[in-house]
Amino acid sequence: MANGSFRIARNRGGAQLPLALLAALAVALILIGKAQNTLFDRTRAAVTDWAAPALHAARAPLVGLDRFMGSIGEIFSVYQENLRLKDENARLRQWRNAAIVLDDRVKRYQLLLRAVPDPSLSSVMARVIGRSNQPFLQTMILDAGKAQGIKPGQAVIDARGMIGRIFLTGHHTSWVILLTDLNSRIPVTLEPGNVQAIMAGDNTTAPTLDLLSQNVLLKPGAQVVSSGDGGLLPPGLAIGTVIANPSGGFRVVLLADSTSSEDVNVVDFKLKTEKPPAPSPNDLPATAAGLPPAAPPAVQSPVPGGSLAPSGAAAAPPAHAPTMTAPAAATPPSPEGAAVDNGNE
Amino acid sequence: MEHAGSIMGGRVLSSLTPAGLGILGVLIATFPVSFLGGLVPPPLFVFMPLYFWAMVRPDLMTPFWAFALGVFQDFLSGGPPGVWAASFLAAYFLIDRQRDMLAGLSGIGAIAGFAVAALSACLTAYVIVGFYYWHLPPVAPLLVELAMTVLFYIPAVFVIGVIHRRIVGPYRSDF
Repeated sequence: MANGSFRIARNRGGAQLPLALLAALAVALILIGKAQNTLFDRTRAAVTDWAAPALHAARAPLVGLDRFMGSIGEIFSVYQENLRLKDENARLRQWRNAAIVLDDRVKRYQLLLRAVPDPSLSSVMARVIGRSNQPFLQTMILDAGKAQGIKPGQAVIDARGMIGRIFLTGHHTSWVILLTDLNSRIPVTLEPGNVQAIMAGDNTTAPTLDLLSQNVLLKPGAQVVSSGDGGLLPPGLAIGTVIANPSGGFRVVLLADSTSSEDVNVVDFKLKTEKPPAPSPNDLPATAAGLPPAAPPAVQSPVPGGSLAPSGAAAAPPAHAPTMTAPAAATPPSPEGAAVDNGNE
Repeated sequence: MEHAGSIMGGRVLSSLTPAGLGILGVLIATFPVSFLGGLVPPPLFVFMPLYFWAMVRPDLMTPFWAFALGVFQDFLSGGPPGVWAASFLAAYFLIDRQRDMLAGLSGIGAIAGFAVAALSACLTAYVIVGFYYWHLPPVAPLLVELAMTVLFYIPAVFVIGVIHRRIVGPYRSDF
């Protein structure tokens, strides 16, 4: 291996000038990308769409080869692995039965309490056709895009837990920023204790935890799920387990393994507007206080030459009227109004 | 006439081979397969043909191609545009200035020369990313990627050498 064995061309072709120009162009690209980070997104999506067939075509044989090479070492431990899986399967069946019973109980409690039901989730299954596991980046390319209803911000999960979220969509490809990426920061809840925290990636395999409260005693082993704060991600998505960081603080060992995920689900989540049930007459303060409901007020004629008074002004009681019953009786309760009033109370 | 067309086609093929291998390197690094279980980042495959032909045949691996491969790498890796383009140009500058010295190396020295060039590209990318996010990323993954790149260059340079002798060299004998 000698570089000198190759005949070296002596004609540099005046490379210095274009080198300087191209370097200036590269710096300009960086600065423009920093100032307008969405400017290149369309180009990136187009490049990905263009490269998708090549990535797709190369995926199958490479994945097959990867599986074959991975299975060579597993042949020798297949018996022990089978026993372990049988044991784990039996335990998981017990947990599944317990989960079904508890899920049913939670639903009944929600019905009794008239709790707002959890928003339903639909998902799109996509295939991983590209993965960037670089020192500065942890991203993934999926073979589903706008054509399949994928939108930026949606959560990406595999069979074990959350992997990341969509940050860019092309026509039939989309980009996932992994939870381990330097730029990933998502609100999470730690159970038990309902502790709120921010999980931040730092390009290592275990993201860090920034607790929102300093007065929390956190223990390794706590479960990390998405909190749903901000309405960007659905609450309750399994993420990982808390471990102590040797250099202080806590980190999260992720349940999902983004390096081996081949098929993932993109969760379509859109938080619906909260609509609590309409209050019945028994919910009115006067009725609750044991007083008879007031009679409906007489309809007022509109002021000649002027506009109708707003409902709040119309509901304003006269100076001599009892202040407790007049507002409730003057305006029929609407769900929205009741919700606001309840909130104020 | 037919012979002339064949030669012309061969020359075009030989001109596009270095850049084509660079594009292939970007695609390979993007494939969702990790034969090492994702424990280490994939090598900078794109830098191998870039270094080789920037040193041996700069007329085939021009600064434009270094820039274009860097932009392609940026776009397909999901990172901010321009980072790897600037990094490859920085390495290209080093190779261009030290070409005679690098070309005279052999054995371990040739690998060390490649390692120095790759280090310059990685360090440039590290500094740019640090400024870009105003937050220094961890150094360890970068060093592992550099080590993997150097390690993979050893077999890759034989393949690249064969391609150079069989495809690029015969049709490009004007130097």
